[in-house]
Amino acid sequence: MRQRHRERVLEFLRTIQKPDRPLDAVAETDSLVESGLIDSLALLEIVTFLEAQYRIDFAAIGLEPEQLTSVSGILDLIEREAR
Amino acid sequence: MTSGPGVAAAARRLRHFHEDPAVIARWQAWTRPLLTRLTPGRRRALLALAALYVVVKRPLKDMAPALDLRSPLSALAVILLCFAIVVAAYVAARRFASLPAVVRARPQIWIHALFWVLVLLGWLAPKGSGVTTLILPGLVLALPFLLWRIGYLLMSGQRGRMAGTRFSDHLLYLYPAYGGTNTPYGKGIDHLGRHEARSDEALARSQLAGLKLLALAWIYDRALELMAGLVHGQPGAPLHAFGLGLPRLEALMPAGAQAPWLVAWAAVYAGLVSDVLKLAVRGHEIVGVLRLFGFNVFRNTYKPLLAPSLVEFWNRYHYYFKELLVEFFFFPTYVRYFRRSPRLRMLAAALAAAGLGNLYYHLLQQDAFMLTGSWAAVQPWLATRSVYCLLLAIGIYVSMRREQRRRGATATAPAGWPIRLRRIAGVWTFFALIGIWGEGGGASFGQRALFVLGLFGLR
Repeated sequence: MRQRHRERVLEFLRTIQKPDRPLDAVAETDSLVESGLIDSLALLEIVTFLEAQYRIDFAAIGLEPEQLTSVSGILDLIEREAR
Repeated sequence: MTSGPGVAAAARRLRHFHEDPAVIARWQAWTRPLLTRLTPGRRRALLALAALYVVVKRPLKDMAPALDLRSPLSALAVILLCFAIVVAAYVAARRFASLPAVVRARPQIWIHALFWVLVLLGWLAPKGSGVTTLILPGLVLALPFLLWRIGYLLMSGQRGRMAGTRFSDHLLYLYPAYGGTNTPYGKGIDHLGRHEARSDEALARSQLAGLKLLALAWIYDRALELMAGLVHGQPGAPLHAFGLGLPRLEALMPAGAQAPWLVAWAAVYAGLVSDVLKLAVRGHEIVGVLRLFGFNVFRNTYKPLLAPSLVEFWNRYHYYFKELLVEFFFFPTYVRYFRRSPRLRMLAAALAAAGLGNLYYHLLQQDAFMLTGSWAAVQPWLATRSVYCLLLAIGIYVSMRREQRRRGATATAPAGWPIRLRRIAGVWTFFALIGIWGEGGGASFGQRALFVLGLFGLR
Protein backbone atom coordinates (compact mmCIF):
# COMPACT_ATOMS: atom_id res chain seq x y z
CA MET A 1 0.00 0.00 0.00
CA ARG A 2 2.79 2.40 0.96
CA GLN A 3 4.51 1.71 -2.35
CA ARG A 4 1.32 2.60 -4.22
CA HIS A 5 0.97 5.83 -2.25
CA ARG A 6 4.62 6.57 -2.91
CA GLU A 7 4.19 6.27 -6.68
CA ARG A 8 1.11 8.45 -6.56
CA VAL A 9 2.87 11.12 -4.47
CA LEU A 10 5.96 11.12 -6.70
CA GLU A 11 3.77 11.36 -9.78
CA PHE A 12 2.07 14.38 -8.24
CA LEU A 13 5.34 16.01 -7.16
CA ARG A 14 6.52 15.85 -10.76
CA THR A 15 3.57 18.02 -11.76
CA ILE A 16 4.59 20.81 -9.39
CA GLN A 17 8.35 20.69 -9.72
CA LYS A 18 10.14 23.91 -10.47
CA PRO A 19 11.17 24.02 -14.16
CA ASP A 20 14.83 24.33 -13.22
CA ARG A 21 14.70 21.78 -10.36
CA PRO A 22 13.48 18.50 -11.84
CA LEU A 23 12.50 15.71 -9.52
CA ASP A 24 14.39 12.71 -10.85
CA ALA A 25 15.70 10.71 -7.96
CA VAL A 26 14.64 11.85 -4.52
CA ALA A 27 15.05 9.31 -1.74
CA GLU A 28 12.07 8.84 0.56
CA THR A 29 13.73 10.56 3.50
CA ASP A 30 15.48 13.33 1.54
CA SER A 31 14.40 16.82 2.49
CA LEU A 32 12.45 18.25 -0.41
CA VAL A 33 13.36 21.72 0.90
CA GLU A 34 17.08 21.09 0.68
CA SER A 35 16.70 19.40 -2.70
CA GLY A 36 15.16 22.68 -3.88
CA LEU A 37 11.82 21.15 -4.83
CA ILE A 38 9.65 22.49 -2.06
CA ASP A 39 8.85 26.04 -1.09
CA SER A 40 5.75 27.60 0.44
CA LEU A 41 4.00 27.47 -2.90
CA ALA A 42 4.70 23.79 -3.52
CA LEU A 43 3.56 23.10 0.02
CA LEU A 44 0.13 24.53 -0.81
CA GLU A 45 -0.09 22.30 -3.85
CA ILE A 46 0.74 19.29 -1.70
CA VAL A 47 -1.92 20.28 0.84
CA THR A 48 -4.53 20.60 -1.90
CA PHE A 49 -3.44 17.25 -3.38
CA LEU A 50 -3.70 15.46 -0.01
CA GLU A 51 -7.09 17.02 0.70
CA ALA A 52 -8.45 15.97 -2.67
CA GLN A 53 -6.86 12.55 -3.04
CA TYR A 54 -6.84 11.32 0.55
CA ARG A 55 -9.52 13.54 2.12
CA ILE A 56 -7.10 14.74 4.80
CA ASP A 57 -8.68 17.60 6.74
CA PHE A 58 -5.88 20.00 7.66
CA ALA A 59 -8.34 22.36 9.31
CA ALA A 60 -8.98 19.62 11.87
CA ILE A 61 -5.49 18.17 12.31
CA GLY A 62 -3.49 21.36 11.80
CA LEU A 63 -0.92 21.98 9.13
CA GLU A 64 2.62 21.15 10.15
CA PRO A 65 4.85 22.13 7.21
CA GLU A 66 7.71 19.91 8.38
CA GLN A 67 5.54 16.83 7.90
CA LEU A 68 5.37 17.63 4.23
CA THR A 69 9.04 18.27 3.56
CA SER A 70 9.97 14.68 2.74
CA VAL A 71 8.27 11.92 0.80
CA SER A 72 8.38 9.68 3.89
CA GLY A 73 6.74 12.43 5.97
CA ILE A 74 3.95 12.76 3.42
CA LEU A 75 3.49 8.98 3.31
CA ASP A 76 3.37 8.76 7.12
CA LEU A 77 0.71 11.46 7.15
CA ILE A 78 -1.32 9.63 4.52
CA GLU A 79 -1.13 6.38 6.50
CA ARG A 80 -2.18 8.17 9.66
CA GLU A 81 -4.88 10.51 8.42
CA ALA A 82 -6.26 9.31 5.06
CA ARG A 83 -9.96 8.49 5.11
CA MET B 1 48.92 33.57 -15.11
CA THR B 2 45.62 32.33 -13.62
CA SER B 3 42.97 31.41 -16.18
CA GLY B 4 39.38 32.72 -16.07
CA PRO B 5 37.86 29.37 -15.03
CA GLY B 6 40.61 29.04 -12.40
CA VAL B 7 39.67 32.41 -10.89
CA ALA B 8 35.98 31.48 -10.94
CA ALA B 9 36.72 28.16 -9.21
CA ALA B 10 38.83 29.94 -6.57
CA ALA B 11 36.04 32.47 -5.98
CA ARG B 12 33.52 29.63 -5.65
CA ARG B 13 35.80 27.86 -3.16
CA LEU B 14 36.12 31.06 -1.15
CA ARG B 15 32.35 31.62 -1.15
CA HIS B 16 31.71 28.06 -0.01
CA PHE B 17 34.69 27.70 2.33
CA HIS B 18 32.36 26.60 5.12
CA GLU B 19 31.42 23.49 3.11
CA ASP B 20 34.98 22.53 2.18
CA PRO B 21 35.83 19.25 4.01
CA ALA B 22 39.49 20.31 4.35
CA VAL B 23 38.52 23.61 6.01
CA ILE B 24 36.02 21.86 8.27
CA ALA B 25 38.67 19.31 9.31
CA ARG B 26 41.17 22.10 10.03
CA TRP B 27 38.60 24.05 12.07
CA GLN B 28 37.82 20.89 14.02
CA ALA B 29 41.51 20.36 14.71
CA TRP B 30 41.97 23.96 15.92
CA THR B 31 38.92 24.07 18.12
CA ARG B 32 38.67 20.43 19.22
CA PRO B 33 39.00 21.08 23.00
CA LEU B 34 36.20 23.64 22.76
CA LEU B 35 34.01 21.68 20.36
CA THR B 36 34.03 18.50 22.40
CA ARG B 37 33.12 20.40 25.55
CA LEU B 38 30.33 22.35 23.87
CA THR B 39 27.77 19.56 23.76
CA PRO B 40 24.27 20.50 22.57
CA GLY B 41 23.06 20.49 26.20
CA ARG B 42 25.83 22.84 27.34
CA ARG B 43 25.30 25.18 24.39
CA ARG B 44 21.60 25.41 25.20
CA ALA B 45 22.43 25.93 28.87
CA LEU B 46 24.77 28.81 27.99
CA LEU B 47 22.09 30.54 25.93
CA ALA B 48 19.49 29.91 28.66
CA LEU B 49 21.82 31.41 31.25
CA ALA B 50 22.36 34.47 29.09
CA ALA B 51 18.57 34.64 28.63
CA LEU B 52 18.24 35.50 32.33
CA TYR B 53 19.93 38.83 31.56
CA VAL B 54 17.50 39.39 28.67
CA VAL B 55 14.55 38.59 30.97
CA VAL B 56 15.36 41.86 32.75
CA LYS B 57 16.94 43.89 29.96
CA ARG B 58 14.39 43.43 27.18
CA PRO B 59 11.21 44.55 29.01
CA LEU B 60 13.14 47.56 30.37
CA LYS B 61 14.06 48.55 26.82
CA ASP B 62 10.55 48.01 25.46
CA MET B 63 8.71 49.80 28.25
CA ALA B 64 11.10 52.75 28.44
CA PRO B 65 8.87 55.08 26.37
CA ALA B 66 5.93 54.55 28.74
CA LEU B 67 7.24 53.92 32.19
CA ASP B 68 9.15 56.16 34.44
CA LEU B 69 12.05 53.83 35.06
CA ARG B 70 12.88 55.79 38.17
CA SER B 71 9.96 53.91 39.62
CA PRO B 72 11.83 50.64 40.02
CA LEU B 73 8.93 48.82 41.66
CA SER B 74 6.62 49.14 38.66
CA ALA B 75 9.47 48.20 36.29
CA LEU B 76 10.22 45.14 38.41
CA ALA B 77 6.53 44.24 38.42
CA VAL B 78 6.40 44.35 34.60
CA ILE B 79 9.53 42.17 34.32
CA LEU B 80 8.10 39.61 36.74
CA LEU B 81 4.66 39.64 35.12
CA CYS B 82 6.19 39.09 31.66
CA PHE B 83 8.17 36.18 33.03
CA ALA B 84 5.09 34.79 34.81
CA ILE B 85 3.17 34.92 31.51
CA VAL B 86 6.00 33.01 29.81
CA VAL B 87 5.94 30.37 32.58
CA ALA B 88 2.14 30.09 32.31
CA ALA B 89 2.43 29.67 28.52
CA TYR B 90 5.05 26.96 29.03
CA VAL B 91 2.79 25.09 31.45
CA ALA B 92 -0.13 25.48 29.02
CA ALA B 93 2.01 24.12 26.15
CA ARG B 94 3.15 21.14 28.24
CA ARG B 95 -0.41 20.33 29.26
CA PHE B 96 -1.88 21.28 25.92
CA ALA B 97 -4.09 18.19 25.71
CA SER B 98 -5.79 19.08 28.98
CA LEU B 99 -6.62 22.68 27.98
CA PRO B 100 -10.28 23.50 27.28
CA ALA B 101 -11.33 22.49 23.75
CA VAL B 102 -12.01 26.09 22.72
CA VAL B 103 -8.45 27.05 23.61
CA ARG B 104 -6.96 23.97 21.93
CA ALA B 105 -8.81 24.80 18.74
CA ARG B 106 -7.42 28.36 18.50
CA PRO B 107 -4.50 28.83 20.93
CA GLN B 108 -3.01 31.70 18.94
CA ILE B 109 -6.23 33.67 18.95
CA TRP B 110 -6.53 33.16 22.70
CA ILE B 111 -3.09 34.48 23.49
CA HIS B 112 -3.72 37.58 21.39
CA ALA B 113 -7.21 38.00 22.85
CA LEU B 114 -5.75 37.96 26.38
CA PHE B 115 -3.17 40.53 25.32
CA TRP B 116 -5.91 42.79 23.94
CA VAL B 117 -7.81 42.52 27.21
CA LEU B 118 -4.72 44.03 28.86
CA VAL B 119 -4.56 46.72 26.18
CA LEU B 120 -8.22 47.59 26.72
CA LEU B 121 -7.74 47.72 30.50
CA GLY B 122 -4.86 50.09 29.90
CA TRP B 123 -7.07 52.32 27.76
CA LEU B 124 -9.92 52.31 30.25
CA ALA B 125 -7.94 52.63 33.48
CA PRO B 126 -8.23 56.08 35.05
CA LYS B 127 -5.09 58.08 34.46
CA GLY B 128 -3.08 58.76 37.57
CA SER B 129 -0.25 57.31 39.50
CA GLY B 130 -1.91 54.10 40.70
CA VAL B 131 -0.08 50.82 40.35
CA THR B 132 -2.37 49.70 37.51
CA THR B 133 -1.69 52.76 35.42
CA LEU B 134 2.03 52.33 35.95
CA ILE B 135 2.19 48.62 35.18
CA LEU B 136 -0.34 48.19 32.36
CA PRO B 137 1.45 50.51 29.91
CA GLY B 138 4.71 48.67 30.57
CA LEU B 139 3.08 45.32 29.84
CA VAL B 140 1.41 46.62 26.68
CA LEU B 141 4.79 47.73 25.35
CA ALA B 142 6.85 44.77 26.57
CA LEU B 143 4.56 41.89 25.58
CA PRO B 144 4.56 42.23 21.75
CA PHE B 145 8.18 41.05 21.81
CA LEU B 146 7.02 37.84 23.51
CA LEU B 147 3.68 37.30 21.74
CA TRP B 148 4.93 35.57 18.58
CA ARG B 149 7.51 33.62 20.56
CA ILE B 150 4.78 32.39 22.90
CA GLY B 151 2.91 31.57 19.70
CA TYR B 152 5.69 29.19 18.64
CA LEU B 153 5.76 27.73 22.17
CA LEU B 154 2.03 26.97 22.04
CA MET B 155 2.45 25.59 18.53
CA SER B 156 4.97 23.09 19.96
CA GLY B 157 2.39 22.03 22.53
CA GLN B 158 -0.33 21.81 19.89
CA ARG B 159 1.87 19.59 17.72
CA GLY B 160 2.82 17.37 20.65
CA ARG B 161 6.46 18.39 20.49
CA MET B 162 7.00 19.43 24.10
CA ALA B 163 8.18 16.02 25.27
CA GLY B 164 11.92 15.97 25.87
CA THR B 165 12.23 19.74 26.15
CA ARG B 166 12.88 21.66 29.34
CA PHE B 167 11.82 25.17 30.29
CA SER B 168 15.40 26.35 29.77
CA ASP B 169 15.28 25.10 26.15
CA HIS B 170 12.39 27.45 25.48
CA LEU B 171 14.03 30.35 27.28
CA LEU B 172 16.70 30.58 24.61
CA TYR B 173 14.29 31.81 21.95
CA LEU B 174 11.74 33.48 24.25
CA TYR B 175 14.49 35.77 25.57
CA PRO B 176 17.16 35.50 22.86
CA ALA B 177 20.60 36.50 24.10
CA TYR B 178 21.70 36.66 20.46
CA GLY B 179 19.43 39.66 19.94
CA GLY B 180 16.42 40.13 17.78
CA THR B 181 13.25 41.97 17.06
CA ASN B 182 9.61 41.03 17.62
CA THR B 183 10.19 38.47 14.83
CA PRO B 184 11.65 35.29 16.31
CA TYR B 185 14.72 34.56 14.16
CA GLY B 186 15.12 30.79 14.10
CA LYS B 187 11.45 30.40 15.14
CA GLY B 188 10.79 28.16 18.17
CA ILE B 189 12.57 25.19 19.67
CA ASP B 190 11.06 22.74 17.11
CA HIS B 191 12.79 24.50 14.25
CA LEU B 192 15.99 25.26 16.15
CA GLY B 193 16.21 21.67 17.40
CA ARG B 194 15.80 20.25 13.91
CA HIS B 195 18.80 22.26 12.73
CA GLU B 196 20.96 21.69 15.81
CA ALA B 197 24.44 20.21 15.33
CA ARG B 198 24.73 16.79 17.02
CA SER B 199 28.37 16.01 16.27
CA ASP B 200 31.68 17.85 16.40
CA GLU B 201 31.81 17.90 12.61
CA ALA B 202 28.27 19.31 12.31
CA LEU B 203 29.12 21.95 14.94
CA ALA B 204 32.29 22.91 13.07
CA ARG B 205 30.30 23.18 9.84
CA SER B 206 27.66 25.31 11.57
CA GLN B 207 30.27 27.59 13.18
CA LEU B 208 32.07 28.15 9.88
CA ALA B 209 28.73 29.00 8.27
CA GLY B 210 28.12 31.39 11.18
CA LEU B 211 31.50 33.05 10.73
CA LYS B 212 30.73 33.49 7.06
CA LEU B 213 27.48 35.29 7.91
CA LEU B 214 29.21 37.53 10.46
CA ALA B 215 31.84 38.41 7.84
CA LEU B 216 29.11 39.16 5.31
CA ALA B 217 27.30 41.32 7.88
CA TRP B 218 30.50 43.33 8.36
CA ILE B 219 30.96 43.73 4.60
CA TYR B 220 27.33 44.81 4.07
CA ASP B 221 27.65 47.28 6.92
CA ARG B 222 30.70 48.82 5.22
CA ALA B 223 28.75 48.84 1.94
CA LEU B 224 25.97 50.79 3.68
CA GLU B 225 28.50 53.32 4.96
CA LEU B 226 29.99 53.63 1.48
CA MET B 227 26.51 54.04 0.05
CA ALA B 228 25.79 56.78 2.60
CA GLY B 229 28.93 58.61 1.48
CA LEU B 230 29.07 58.00 -2.26
CA VAL B 231 25.37 57.98 -3.08
CA HIS B 232 23.84 60.28 -0.46
CA GLY B 233 26.91 62.41 0.34
CA GLN B 234 26.17 62.05 4.06
CA PRO B 235 28.66 64.12 6.08
CA GLY B 236 31.06 61.91 8.01
CA ALA B 237 30.47 58.87 5.80
CA PRO B 238 33.41 57.50 3.77
CA LEU B 239 34.13 59.34 0.49
CA HIS B 240 31.24 61.73 1.09
CA ALA B 241 33.22 64.49 -0.62
CA PHE B 242 32.75 62.57 -3.88
CA GLY B 243 29.12 61.75 -3.13
CA LEU B 244 26.28 62.26 -5.59
CA GLY B 245 24.20 63.95 -2.92
CA LEU B 246 21.10 61.91 -3.73
CA PRO B 247 18.46 62.70 -1.09
CA ARG B 248 17.13 59.75 0.90
CA LEU B 249 13.63 58.62 0.02
CA GLU B 250 12.12 59.71 3.34
CA ALA B 251 13.59 63.18 2.87
CA LEU B 252 12.32 63.45 -0.70
CA MET B 253 8.76 62.23 -0.24
CA PRO B 254 7.43 65.37 1.50
CA ALA B 255 8.22 67.24 -1.74
CA GLY B 256 5.43 65.19 -3.37
CA ALA B 257 5.27 65.63 -7.12
CA GLN B 258 7.82 68.48 -6.96
CA ALA B 259 10.70 66.02 -6.52
CA PRO B 260 12.85 65.94 -9.69
CA TRP B 261 11.84 62.90 -11.73
CA LEU B 262 15.21 61.19 -12.18
CA VAL B 263 16.29 61.96 -8.62
CA ALA B 264 13.01 60.57 -7.31
CA TRP B 265 13.42 57.27 -9.17
CA ALA B 266 17.05 56.97 -8.06
CA ALA B 267 16.02 57.61 -4.43
CA VAL B 268 13.29 54.96 -4.67
CA TYR B 269 15.72 52.27 -5.89
CA ALA B 270 18.45 53.38 -3.47
CA GLY B 271 15.89 53.08 -0.66
CA LEU B 272 15.22 49.47 -1.63
CA VAL B 273 18.92 48.55 -1.77
CA SER B 274 19.54 50.27 1.55
CA ASP B 275 16.59 48.46 3.22
CA VAL B 276 17.81 45.08 1.96
CA LEU B 277 21.35 45.73 3.17
CA LYS B 278 20.20 46.90 6.62
CA LEU B 279 18.00 43.84 7.04
CA ALA B 280 20.79 41.54 5.86
CA VAL B 281 23.25 43.05 8.36
CA ARG B 282 20.90 42.56 11.31
CA GLY B 283 19.74 39.12 10.20
CA HIS B 284 23.25 37.85 9.43
CA GLU B 285 24.46 38.96 12.84
CA ILE B 286 21.65 37.13 14.63
CA VAL B 287 21.71 33.96 12.51
CA GLY B 288 25.53 34.06 12.56
CA VAL B 289 25.53 33.86 16.36
CA LEU B 290 22.87 31.13 16.32
CA ARG B 291 25.10 29.12 13.99
CA LEU B 292 28.11 29.62 16.26
CA PHE B 293 26.00 27.92 18.94
CA GLY B 294 25.27 25.04 16.59
CA PHE B 295 21.82 26.04 15.34
CA ASN B 296 22.51 25.89 11.62
CA VAL B 297 19.27 27.56 10.55
CA PHE B 298 18.51 29.33 7.28
CA ARG B 299 19.65 32.87 6.72
CA ASN B 300 17.08 35.59 7.22
CA THR B 301 18.09 37.34 3.99
CA TYR B 302 19.39 35.45 0.97
CA LYS B 303 20.13 37.43 -2.21
CA PRO B 304 16.65 38.95 -2.57
CA LEU B 305 17.91 41.47 -5.12
CA LEU B 306 18.53 38.56 -7.51
CA ALA B 307 15.02 37.14 -7.10
CA PRO B 308 13.23 36.66 -10.42
CA SER B 309 9.69 36.85 -8.97
CA LEU B 310 7.84 38.76 -6.26
CA VAL B 311 7.09 35.64 -4.26
CA GLU B 312 10.75 34.59 -4.44
CA PHE B 313 11.86 38.05 -3.25
CA TRP B 314 9.41 37.87 -0.35
CA ASN B 315 10.76 34.44 0.54
CA ARG B 316 14.36 35.65 0.56
CA TYR B 317 14.03 39.20 1.90
CA HIS B 318 12.96 38.67 5.52
CA TYR B 319 12.60 34.89 5.82
CA TYR B 320 11.60 34.63 9.48
CA PHE B 321 9.02 37.39 9.22
CA LYS B 322 7.59 35.69 6.14
CA GLU B 323 7.55 32.38 8.04
CA LEU B 324 5.72 34.04 10.93
CA LEU B 325 3.06 35.38 8.58
CA VAL B 326 2.80 32.05 6.77
CA GLU B 327 2.47 29.96 9.94
CA PHE B 328 0.21 32.26 11.93
CA PHE B 329 -1.94 33.71 9.14
CA PHE B 330 -1.48 32.12 5.71
CA PHE B 331 -1.82 28.41 6.53
CA PRO B 332 -4.68 28.79 9.04
CA THR B 333 -6.65 30.77 6.44
CA TYR B 334 -5.70 28.45 3.59
CA VAL B 335 -6.81 25.24 5.32
CA ARG B 336 -10.08 26.71 6.66
CA TYR B 337 -11.66 29.01 4.12
CA PHE B 338 -12.81 28.86 0.47
CA ARG B 339 -11.59 25.30 0.04
CA ARG B 340 -13.75 24.79 -3.02
CA SER B 341 -12.30 27.74 -4.88
CA PRO B 342 -8.51 27.40 -5.34
CA ARG B 343 -7.95 30.96 -6.54
CA LEU B 344 -10.11 32.61 -3.90
CA ARG B 345 -8.50 30.39 -1.30
CA MET B 346 -5.02 31.53 -2.25
CA LEU B 347 -6.09 35.18 -2.50
CA ALA B 348 -7.71 35.05 0.94
CA ALA B 349 -4.60 33.45 2.45
CA ALA B 350 -2.30 36.03 0.80
CA LEU B 351 -4.50 38.89 2.04
CA ALA B 352 -4.62 37.37 5.53
CA ALA B 353 -0.83 37.01 5.73
CA ALA B 354 0.87 39.75 3.71
CA GLY B 355 -2.09 42.09 4.20
CA LEU B 356 -3.87 41.81 7.54
CA GLY B 357 -1.20 39.83 9.42
CA ASN B 358 1.51 42.21 8.28
CA LEU B 359 -0.58 45.23 9.29
CA TYR B 360 -1.45 43.71 12.68
CA TYR B 361 2.19 42.79 13.42
CA HIS B 362 3.26 46.38 12.84
CA LEU B 363 0.24 47.85 14.64
CA LEU B 364 1.49 46.23 17.84
CA GLN B 365 4.57 48.42 17.52
CA GLN B 366 2.64 51.70 17.30
CA ASP B 367 3.38 52.71 20.87
CA ALA B 368 1.24 55.84 20.99
CA PHE B 369 -1.85 53.96 19.82
CA MET B 370 -1.20 50.89 21.96
CA LEU B 371 -0.92 53.09 25.04
CA THR B 372 -3.84 55.43 24.47
CA GLY B 373 -6.10 53.85 21.85
CA SER B 374 -6.14 57.21 20.14
CA TRP B 375 -7.35 56.93 16.54
CA ALA B 376 -5.62 60.20 15.68
CA ALA B 377 -2.31 58.70 16.85
CA VAL B 378 -2.52 55.79 14.45
CA GLN B 379 -4.61 56.98 11.51
CA PRO B 380 -1.80 58.50 9.36
CA TRP B 381 0.38 55.42 9.84
CA LEU B 382 -2.54 53.05 9.26
CA ALA B 383 -3.52 54.76 6.01
CA THR B 384 -0.08 54.47 4.41
CA ARG B 385 0.74 51.05 5.82
CA SER B 386 -2.59 49.65 4.61
CA VAL B 387 -1.70 50.62 1.05
CA TYR B 388 1.68 48.90 1.45
CA CYS B 389 0.12 45.71 2.83
CA LEU B 390 -2.65 45.58 0.24
CA LEU B 391 -0.25 46.07 -2.68
CA LEU B 392 2.12 43.49 -1.22
CA ALA B 393 -0.64 40.91 -0.76
CA ILE B 394 -1.99 41.40 -4.28
CA GLY B 395 1.52 41.33 -5.75
CA ILE B 396 2.33 38.09 -3.96
CA TYR B 397 -0.97 36.51 -5.01
CA VAL B 398 -0.41 37.40 -8.66
CA SER B 399 3.19 36.17 -8.47
CA MET B 400 2.12 32.88 -6.87
CA ARG B 401 -0.44 32.32 -9.61
CA ARG B 402 2.14 33.01 -12.32
CA GLU B 403 4.65 30.73 -10.64
CA GLN B 404 2.01 28.01 -10.36
CA ARG B 405 1.34 28.17 -14.09
CA ARG B 406 5.06 27.97 -14.81
CA ARG B 407 5.47 24.78 -12.82
CA GLY B 408 4.71 21.26 -13.83
CA ALA B 409 6.19 21.75 -17.27
CA THR B 410 8.93 19.35 -18.21
CA ALA B 411 12.23 20.70 -17.01
CA THR B 412 13.34 23.45 -19.35
CA ALA B 413 16.60 25.29 -19.72
CA PRO B 414 16.87 28.24 -17.32
CA ALA B 415 15.82 31.58 -18.79
CA GLY B 416 18.61 33.55 -20.49
CA TRP B 417 20.18 36.63 -18.88
CA PRO B 418 18.10 39.23 -20.74
CA ILE B 419 14.88 37.59 -19.54
CA ARG B 420 16.23 37.11 -16.02
CA LEU B 421 17.39 40.72 -15.86
CA ARG B 422 14.00 41.93 -17.02
CA ARG B 423 12.29 39.87 -14.32
CA ILE B 424 14.72 41.06 -11.64
CA ALA B 425 14.17 44.68 -12.71
CA GLY B 426 10.42 44.15 -12.41
CA VAL B 427 10.82 42.78 -8.88
CA TRP B 428 13.04 45.72 -7.88
CA THR B 429 10.56 48.20 -9.27
CA PHE B 430 7.58 46.63 -7.49
CA PHE B 431 9.24 46.46 -4.08
CA ALA B 432 10.86 49.88 -4.47
CA LEU B 433 7.48 51.44 -5.31
CA ILE B 434 5.50 49.79 -2.51
CA GLY B 435 8.36 50.80 -0.21
CA ILE B 436 7.12 54.38 -0.63
CA TRP B 437 4.06 53.34 1.44
CA GLY B 438 5.97 51.18 3.90
CA GLU B 439 8.75 53.68 4.57
CA GLY B 440 8.71 55.63 7.84
CA GLY B 441 9.40 59.34 7.89
CA GLY B 442 7.06 62.24 8.16
CA ALA B 443 5.45 62.26 4.73
CA SER B 444 1.66 62.31 4.73
CA PHE B 445 -0.58 60.03 2.69
CA GLY B 446 -1.21 62.82 0.19
CA GLN B 447 2.48 63.64 -0.19
CA ARG B 448 3.27 60.00 -0.85
CA ALA B 449 0.45 59.75 -3.40
CA LEU B 450 1.72 62.88 -5.20
CA PHE B 451 5.26 61.52 -5.09
CA VAL B 452 4.10 58.31 -6.80
CA LEU B 453 2.20 60.30 -9.43
CA GLY B 454 5.31 62.40 -10.00
CA LEU B 455 7.35 59.26 -10.67
CA PHE B 456 5.05 58.49 -13.59
CA GLY B 457 5.02 62.07 -14.86
CA LEU B 458 1.45 62.66 -13.61
CA ARG B 459 1.75 65.99 -11.83
